[in-house]
Amino acid sequence: MPRAVKGVLVECDPSIKAIILKIDEDHHHAFIVEDLDEDHLVVKEAKLAELKERLEKILEKTQMMEKDDDSDPDQPG
Amino acid sequence: VVDQIRLWQIEGERMKATQGFLFKDFTTAQDFEDVARYAGELGVLKWKSVQKRCMFVTRHEQIAEWLKRRAAGGKR
Repeated sequence: MPRAVKGVLVECDPSIKAIILKIDEDHHHAFIVEDLDEDHLVVKEAKLAELKERLEKILEKTQMMEKDDDSDPDQPG
Repeated sequence: VVDQIRLWQIEGERMKATQGFLFKDFTTAQDFEDVARYAGELGVLKWKSVQKRCMFVTRHEQIAEWLKRRAAGGKR
């Protein structure tokens, strides 16, 4: 008999997936239920919001580094 | 019930999250194929891998019922 595990299927770009894998690794594998393929994975439902938050923070940081002194009118400095 | 799908717009990258269930640990390839076909017919199959012998479905109740019925009926 197969087993059913509750979770959230996340479909994303492989580059985004790589970041999710890193977040999971850095947090004692608290997020991922199963790594399916290069652009699919299953995460814990209860941890989805936190994962999204962490991912957005990392992406923001990456963007800032890429932009560097490309000044944004909304962002002073 | 419509699948709960959320789209995240993250810096131009699209990320889709779908709630559901991961079915795994199928005993045989045939068992996997049977369930995958049934899930497909129900329209609840979101992702599957023959290699990994696992699949993601948006609803599990009908599949669980079907597996139970099949086990009870001794159908192979």
